[in-house]
Amino acid sequence: MAQKQINILKNIRGKKCLVIDPKLSGSLSLIVQSSQLKEHGAELRHLTTEPVETDCTKMVYLVRAQLNLMKFICSQIHNDTLKGLQKEYFLYFVPRRAVACEKILEDEKVHEMLIIGEYPLYLIPLDEDVLSFELDLAHKECVVNGDTTSLWHIAKSIHKLEFSFGTIPNVRAKGKASTRVADILNRMQAEEPVTSDMGIPEINTLILLDREVDMVTPMCSQLTYEGLLDEFLGVNNGAVELDSSIMGVQQEGKKLKVPLNSSDKLFKEIRDMNFEVVVQVLRQKATSMKQDYTEISTTTQSVSELKDFVKKLNSLPEMTRHINLAQHLSTFTSKPSFLGRLDMEQTLVEAQSYDVCFEYIEEMIHKQEPLINVLRLLVLFSITNSGLPKKNFDYLRRELLHSYGFEHIATLNNLEKAGLFRKQDSKSNWLTVKRALQLVVEDTDTTNPNDISYVFSGYAPLSIRLVQHAIRSGWRPIEEILKLLPGPHSETKKSGFASSPSFDTIPGSLNNLEKVADGRRSLVLVVFIGGVTFAEISALRFLSSQEGMAYDIIVGTTKIVNGHTLIETFVE
Amino acid sequence: LLWKESWELAKNPMASKGSPLHGPRIKLIEKAQQLFSETKEHIFESKAAEEHAKLLRIQHDLEVTTKQAIFVDSSISDTIRTCIVLGNHRTAMKVKTEFKVSERRWYWLKVFALATIRDWDALEKF
Repeated sequence: MAQKQINILKNIRGKKCLVIDPKLSGSLSLIVQSSQLKEHGAELRHLTTEPVETDCTKMVYLVRAQLNLMKFICSQIHNDTLKGLQKEYFLYFVPRRAVACEKILEDEKVHEMLIIGEYPLYLIPLDEDVLSFELDLAHKECVVNGDTTSLWHIAKSIHKLEFSFGTIPNVRAKGKASTRVADILNRMQAEEPVTSDMGIPEINTLILLDREVDMVTPMCSQLTYEGLLDEFLGVNNGAVELDSSIMGVQQEGKKLKVPLNSSDKLFKEIRDMNFEVVVQVLRQKATSMKQDYTEISTTTQSVSELKDFVKKLNSLPEMTRHINLAQHLSTFTSKPSFLGRLDMEQTLVEAQSYDVCFEYIEEMIHKQEPLINVLRLLVLFSITNSGLPKKNFDYLRRELLHSYGFEHIATLNNLEKAGLFRKQDSKSNWLTVKRALQLVVEDTDTTNPNDISYVFSGYAPLSIRLVQHAIRSGWRPIEEILKLLPGPHSETKKSGFASSPSFDTIPGSLNNLEKVADGRRSLVLVVFIGGVTFAEISALRFLSSQEGMAYDIIVGTTKIVNGHTLIETFVE
Repeated sequence: LLWKESWELAKNPMASKGSPLHGPRIKLIEKAQQLFSETKEHIFESKAAEEHAKLLRIQHDLEVTTKQAIFVDSSISDTIRTCIVLGNHRTAMKVKTEFKVSERRWYWLKVFALATIRDWDALEKF
């Protein structure tokens, strides 16, 4: 992947100015170091409305196929022409060109000045076990605008994976987009078969899940360490940005980027834990270190003991980093408003006291609390009740427009189209789903969790429950429940591969321990179309670490999301 | 019917993109209201458009009388708050009755507004 980008640059001789889409820069930085770019004589700029000031005569644009970005490029080129500058322009679409975009370029009469190419960036590894397609608008494009370009893109990415890991024999999909992707993938496999001589494919099962199937989970506040970091500070491409003063660095007003990924051993250990437990763990570690320190200074130690101690000291920077972060987070989590919201989310998920919830949300609107917070609860309210009675629906809509302005009629319309906030047309089946899949678990032990419900302190994410069932037994046993959730489901199984007798036994069942040649467990790829939250990833890691689990789980997603970012795409 | 709907939607944000000339904007919104009212499913949208046009008119008048360009494009609640903060309780009351603002919302707005200007006496009395 990195090589491809460098090749693009190599092929264009001399000094050049690389102008990239700001939305891409974060993910690209995960693949290519900016120093590497400089080695190849590239100046790095972000694409904005401002004209680019540079002496380079070669401009290389690297952008997503978005219409407004085309306009920026056109105006920059026009600007250069007006100044009488002669430049060479190269335009690379990530991941592929779109007719609509090229049409704009033609209309603006710049098409023939450009050399157009594609930079097929399909999957970006965010961590050891998380892949992202980096399609941040996929969900909204699909459900509101009916634009399904992203689905082709997802299928293509998976198909490309198959070339390295072998054709995935089992595919289980739930949701409209997911079943479409499964179909497209099927067709791609027929058109362009993977010639596999690898024996047993490494990825045993592919599970495709629409975000639409479970919109309840992202609307709830995540309670894992990484989830909370994302809710309050916003994790971007595996890093958070915050004031340096929070991290104990004395530099007034400077922003600091703190990397968060599994190369930080302490973070790897605590990222998936419930935040309450993280605080305890950090305290424990700090005390034990202090104890070691007093031992060192009071008694004489052997050299090897000293060595151990010094080794422990090496983890000190990580400790300080996370203690600082945790302390900063707890300023948010101890706020009464946050606790109130958690309480309300719990009540909504249990869907028992309609009136209490209604009044709470009404009061939020009256107090003009941040619109997105209101909408998050409102969506949760609407989904768990299969919509609101017409009278309440119109009343709340009117109050929303009065409080936040009439321009939000478009926002409401988007949400309604997406089925997130709508009129009630049938009796709610949330209670049935909740009961059948045991989504609310009493006495959840957050310290020594025995169920995925620990990530929300008592609520087991619906999406992950489905995955759990899909891995264990496939869709069949829960078909009745699946029918209550949005979208169709499908299940395909390919057999007849050379030298893979194990497929004739029941694939996916627990007692069927399929091992890849070198003794590693085979993989299950879970793809979330429309985004996944950190809390859900944590829950999957938890499943993967359970005894008796035959597979390692890899997560694929169009984007890492949370309730805030998800709702944000709908706000006009 | 679908075509009409999308057309109106495209027009509404276009209209609210804040051209300084309010006349044409209000007209556009009123036209949208008419179109909405032609179909049964869009009673809500039609009412909203009607109220929006009314609000813009009031806000426009307010800007003329107060000579401060702070009203247009704020919501009804914001308008009431601004009025109270400026001590213009009569207009605030007028906006309240004009849009049938519920007592409960009115109380929140008034409390917040009075707290902003630290008018504790008025808050006490109220």
